Amino acid sequence: MGIYEGDPDWDDVVPIPQDDGESALAQIAYSDEYSEAMGYLRAAMAAKEHSQRVLDLTEHIISLNPAHYTVWLYRASTLFAINSSISNELLWVNEVALENQKNYQIWHHRQLLIDHLYPSISSPADLKVVEESERGFMTQMFDQDSKNYHVWSYRQWFVRKFNLFNDAEMKSVEELLRKDIRNNSAWSHRFFIVFNDPIYCTPDSKAMEYDSKIPDAILDREIEFAKAATFEAPQNQSPWNYLRGVLRKGGRKLATLECFAVEFVKLPSEEGKEEDVRSSHALDFLADVWDEKGEVRKADEALTLLGDKYDRIRKNYWDWRRGMLKQGEGTGLVGKMEGMSVK
Amino acid sequence: MSLVSGPGRATATALPDELQLAIEPHVKYIQSLDSRKDELEYWLTEHLRLNGLYWGLTALHLLGRPDALPRNETIKFVLSCQHDNGGFGAAPGHDAHLLYTCSAIQILAMVDALDDLENLGKGEGGGRVAVSKYIAGLQNQETGTFAGDEWGEEDTRFILCALNALSLLHLLSVVDMNKAVDYIVSCANFDGGYGVSPGTESHSGQIYACVGALRIAGRLDLVNKDKLGRWLSERQVEAGGLNGRPEKLEDVCYSWWVGSSLAMIGRLHWIDGPKLAKYILKCQDPKEGGFADRPGDTVDVFHTVFSIAGLSLLEFPGVEDVDPC
Repeated sequence: MGIYEGDPDWDDVVPIPQDDGESALAQIAYSDEYSEAMGYLRAAMAAKEHSQRVLDLTEHIISLNPAHYTVWLYRASTLFAINSSISNELLWVNEVALENQKNYQIWHHRQLLIDHLYPSISSPADLKVVEESERGFMTQMFDQDSKNYHVWSYRQWFVRKFNLFNDAEMKSVEELLRKDIRNNSAWSHRFFIVFNDPIYCTPDSKAMEYDSKIPDAILDREIEFAKAATFEAPQNQSPWNYLRGVLRKGGRKLATLECFAVEFVKLPSEEGKEEDVRSSHALDFLADVWDEKGEVRKADEALTLLGDKYDRIRKNYWDWRRGMLKQGEGTGLVGKMEGMSVK
Repeated sequence: MSLVSGPGRATATALPDELQLAIEPHVKYIQSLDSRKDELEYWLTEHLRLNGLYWGLTALHLLGRPDALPRNETIKFVLSCQHDNGGFGAAPGHDAHLLYTCSAIQILAMVDALDDLENLGKGEGGGRVAVSKYIAGLQNQETGTFAGDEWGEEDTRFILCALNALSLLHLLSVVDMNKAVDYIVSCANFDGGYGVSPGTESHSGQIYACVGALRIAGRLDLVNKDKLGRWLSERQVEAGGLNGRPEKLEDVCYSWWVGSSLAMIGRLHWIDGPKLAKYILKCQDPKEGGFADRPGDTVDVFHTVFSIAGLSLLEFPGVEDVDPC
């Protein structure tokens, strides 16, 4: 006899079977359990029932199949209908999230819960409690998968909602970068919290746009941070992309970092120097610097080395760049690529 | 069409030097998927059933075997997923959602059954109109993006779902195109990519959605193609495959998300095509059929369709042409 069939609490309900008429279910007990539970849920949904037993039922089904989005939605509507404790729900969701890393229904569910909780958060102390517990939980998730896209996009939503452009948030992101300097998600989040901080940023300034309000101290700090990261992992794309992004935000020329970039690159054309390239991204960066400065021959040499030797798989791209140089669109191109802001 | 994985495995070592596309095994693999109802995984992937059908059918069309799945049953199944609000769920009894509504329309268009939708479709106004009303109702009137369903989860993928379905129904006029376009533009990141919402990490899947949507809107002029193309070209790793973000593992499905994004902005040649094709073929099981995410893993229909679509972009012989969007 099935779990629900034999449960007196569910005597009043007639389960609704799968409606496409399938009857060939596996003889595996696990599968029978799932189909029975789904039958009772269909009946509850048809009757629009919202109750504790429905919560228990959805919890059971989620434990068997956490990806069934209809079940999550019905659970949420039941929670709100019967005014169930959101904090308890969050604790339960934490467990499910830890066991189901790839599931993203959970994160939208979480967002619904926090949205529901938000009006009742009245004091700064209460706010801090939620901030710390959410950050703590996200850190637990990142311990298992530091690049979980759903958690990062939830995190961004959370930062905006609770205005967490603060030290605690920055420290948390830095800790992740300390653990893995190549974590592109953490770099992306850092850019977000630095260049969207309402205290010193132009509201609604786009990511690719120059923002004249940003203090030099912030720009310098970010540049130093990214530079340090390039020394730690010269061939990692993230800090190089980051550097370019920061320079653009601050309206600074790439050439301001020429001395830094040449530490990674020695070109054969320079007198007495043996070729030594410790980062293809540095070479790419320098090609743009020399282009910016009008030193076309050096820029071309760098791009040739990239296409022929240091990044052969993208040869067509490097050849295209050389072509753009020769067309004399040099500085214009760098300006176009880096400075194009889309209104 | 279930999403049960396997039984095949990608076996790079079993292939001859000249890598071949094993068309017949792939066709048989796709045909066999719905017959595995005795497996638990069949039921656990029910929430993706309509997507699975779309993936399988698309793969068959690309392999030049559009009739390999029974047309009438396909139409019947798709229509049985429709709700009274005009939207489609993943399977009968599953709530309506944009993702499945898009798959439903794509399938019906592929098997030339939009007339059946007119005659038998549910919802206010019936047919194409009802579906378009459902979709239009999901647009965020303030920001221009789209929710996936009444519960409001927003994601740039849903913008593409909406525009893709509406363009097939010739009813793009029901949405605020300018707002949708502005929203996508606000998602352009410092590295040239796009994320799920403004400021979120650039991700190849989200980029595909944003670029695809802009293409349907006729506004690819708003994309910094050189910068995006550069970021996308960086997805190719030494082994030839593509990843979705910097420092992540390559996965054969990115052959499509990245490949078609590059194709849409005219820069597919910025990656090494032959190297990619070789990698894709290493992900196939030439005996049992199907493709896996990377060599040695278990195959599934999702990776199968995106591998074949990737090969089509690369103009691999034996594969039909695919529209990048």
